[in-house]
Amino acid sequence: MSTWLPKGASSRRWLGLAPSYIVIGIFMLIPMVIMGVFSFLEPNPYGGVKAVGSFDAYVKLFFEYDLEDQLVFNPGYINIVWRSFQLSIMATVLCLVVGFPVAYYITLQPENKRNFYIYLVTIPFWTNLLIRTFAWIIILGRGGVIELPLQKLGIIDDSLRMMYSDGAIAVGLTYSYLPLMVLPIYASLEKLDFRLLEAASDLYANRWVTMWKVVIPLCKPGVVAGCILVFIPCIGAFIAPNLLGGGKKLMLGSLVQFQFSSARNWPFGAALSMLLLSAVVVSLIFYARAAKKRALMEGEV
Amino acid sequence: MTTVAIDIRGVSKVYNPGSNQAVQALDTVSLTINDNEFFTLLGPSGCGKTTLLRLIAGFEQVTGGEIMLFDEEIENLEPSQRPVNTVFQHYALFPHMTVAQNVAFGLERLKKPQAEIDATVERVLSLVKMKELGDRRPNQLSGGQQQRVALARALAPSPKVLLLDEPLSALDLKLRQNMREELKQLQRETGITFVFVTHDQEEALAMSDRIAVMSNGEVQQIGAPTDIYEHPVNRFVADFIGDTNFLDGEITSVNDDLVTCRVGSESLFEAANSGNHSVGDQVTLFLRPEKITLSAAGDASRQGRVANIVYLGNQAAYTVDMGDGIELTAQARPREDGNLPFATNDTISVDYSARALRVLAI
Repeated sequence: MSTWLPKGASSRRWLGLAPSYIVIGIFMLIPMVIMGVFSFLEPNPYGGVKAVGSFDAYVKLFFEYDLEDQLVFNPGYINIVWRSFQLSIMATVLCLVVGFPVAYYITLQPENKRNFYIYLVTIPFWTNLLIRTFAWIIILGRGGVIELPLQKLGIIDDSLRMMYSDGAIAVGLTYSYLPLMVLPIYASLEKLDFRLLEAASDLYANRWVTMWKVVIPLCKPGVVAGCILVFIPCIGAFIAPNLLGGGKKLMLGSLVQFQFSSARNWPFGAALSMLLLSAVVVSLIFYARAAKKRALMEGEV
Repeated sequence: MTTVAIDIRGVSKVYNPGSNQAVQALDTVSLTINDNEFFTLLGPSGCGKTTLLRLIAGFEQVTGGEIMLFDEEIENLEPSQRPVNTVFQHYALFPHMTVAQNVAFGLERLKKPQAEIDATVERVLSLVKMKELGDRRPNQLSGGQQQRVALARALAPSPKVLLLDEPLSALDLKLRQNMREELKQLQRETGITFVFVTHDQEEALAMSDRIAVMSNGEVQQIGAPTDIYEHPVNRFVADFIGDTNFLDGEITSVNDDLVTCRVGSESLFEAANSGNHSVGDQVTLFLRPEKITLSAAGDASRQGRVANIVYLGNQAAYTVDMGDGIELTAQARPREDGNLPFATNDTISVDYSARALRVLAI
C-alpha cells in the first residue's frame, strides 16, 4: 500500500521521541556531566571552579593533609556517609512499619472510600516540605507539643531533648517520605486477590501466617518499590537533617549543600554527589536484577 | 451405622442485618450430611447454596441456628481451626508458590514432620495425576490442571469434610464430564465426606449419593438422585431438574391406582395416584419427555401435530401440539440414516403410560 511508510518509520519514530530525548538531555544528562566534570577540577576560593584538573576532591573523601603535609586517613566524611546510610535505612524501615498497615487498611475499605483515603495520604504534599519540617520543631522541640503537656502534668521535669538528635532526623525523614511508601504498597495490595486469604485460612493458617506467607510475598514488588522510593530521597535529604539535626549531625545531603554554599568547594560537593549517585545506581541495579529474576521465575511458560 | 458428619440445625443467614440492604440468604435450613457421603447442594444462583458452604467453612457467621461437625459445635471456630477444606470456585491457588508448595501449605500449618509432608504431597499429587508437574507454578497450568491442584491442596491435610464450591464451572464441557467421574471415584477412594455445590443438575445427578435442592434460601427437597428426578415434591424441583411437561388441571375422578384429571377445557389425562387426592382438587401433572413415545400416526388414543423440532444430535426434542391449548415436549432418536423421523406439521401419535404421569402438590 505505502512504500514510504517502513522507510520513514524509523526516522519518524526518532522525531516523535525527540521531545523526550531533549528533556532528558537538558534536564538530566547535561547537569550530570557538568557535575562529573566539576568533581575533577580544582575549587575557586570565591566559588565556582578553576579549569585545572585534579583528583583532590575524591582524595578529600578519605584523606587529609596533616601538619607535615602528609596524607593521612580521615574518617570524618566516611562517617557522615555511614550515618546517612544508617539514618536512611532507619527511616525506610520506619516508613515500611507505618506505611504497610496504612496501605493494608485502605485496601480493606469499600471501593468508593479508598480514593478518599489515598487523597488524604497525598495532602501533605500540597505544602512546602520546609514548612512541614519546621512544624516538627514545634512538635519535638523544648516545651513543644509533646513536652509541654507532660511537663504540666508533672510526668517530666526536664526537657526530653528530642530535637537535634538522630531520632529527630529519622522521624522527620519518615514523615516526609511516608506517602512514597504507602502509594506503591497500596497499588500492589489493591491487585491482591483476597480469596487467597480465605484459602490460606481454610488451610489452617492464622492471620499472622497468612500475612507472612501470602500477603507480603505477593505485594513484595510494591514493598521493594516503596523502599527504594523512600531510601533514595532520604540519603540525599538536607532539610530534615539541617532543621531537626541542628546542622551538627550532618548527612550526605547537608554536606553537599554545605560544600556548594558556605564552604565554597564545588568540586568536593560534586564528588560527594557522584558518590551519592553511584550508591543509588548500584541499589537500582540490584533491584532491577531481582525483579528480572522474579519475572523469569514466575512468567516463564 | 451411618455417622452424621454435618448436622445443620435451623440455620439462618442474613447479610447486612438491620440495614435497608438486608438480604435473607438462608431461612431456617435443617439438613444432615452423613459421613462418607457425596452430598450435593443444588440450586439456581442466589439460592443460598454457596452461603451454606461458606458457613460450614467458617467464612461467614450464622445469624441463627447451629452447625455441628461430628457432634461438635463449630460456631466459635475460625476457618483455620475447622477440620474442613475447601476447593474454591476459582481455585485460589497461591501464585507465588509451586504446585508442590501449594499442596504442602495446609500440612505445614498443621506442623507435620517434613518427611510426612513430602510423602503426602507426592501421594496426593499422583492421586490427581499431577505428580510430574509439582515444580510448576499455577500460571503455567491449564484450567483443568489448576483444578486438580486445588483438589490436591484441599485433600492433602485429610480433612474430615471436603467442601467443593462449583469447582467444575470454569472448565469446558468435555473436561467437566471427565472430572465428574474422577471426583466421584476420588470420594470413594478417600472415604472423605464431600459437600458439593453446583447449579448444574446433570453434575448433581451424576455424582451425588444425595442431593439437597435449594431455592430462595430454603431446602426444597433432599433425596437420592432418582428420588429427586422421579418424585419431585413440588413444581420448582420438577422444573429445575431435567426437562418436564407440566399440565395444570382439576381432578375429576379418583380410584385406587389412578386419578383422572381435566386439563384445558375438555382433555382428560390419567395419572398415577400418589394418595390424598380428591375430586375437585387443582393439581399440576408432570411428565418427563423421555417417558413419551412418539410414532407415526396410527390408532393410538392420543394424536398431535408436530409444532417445533430442536435437533440435539443424538436426539431431537419435539414440541407436539395436542389441541385444546396443550403442548407436550417429547424426544425421538434420529433414524439410522440420520434423518429425523418426523417433520414439522406431521400428525403423530403420542404414547405414554399413565403411571409415568404424576401428580404434584402445588
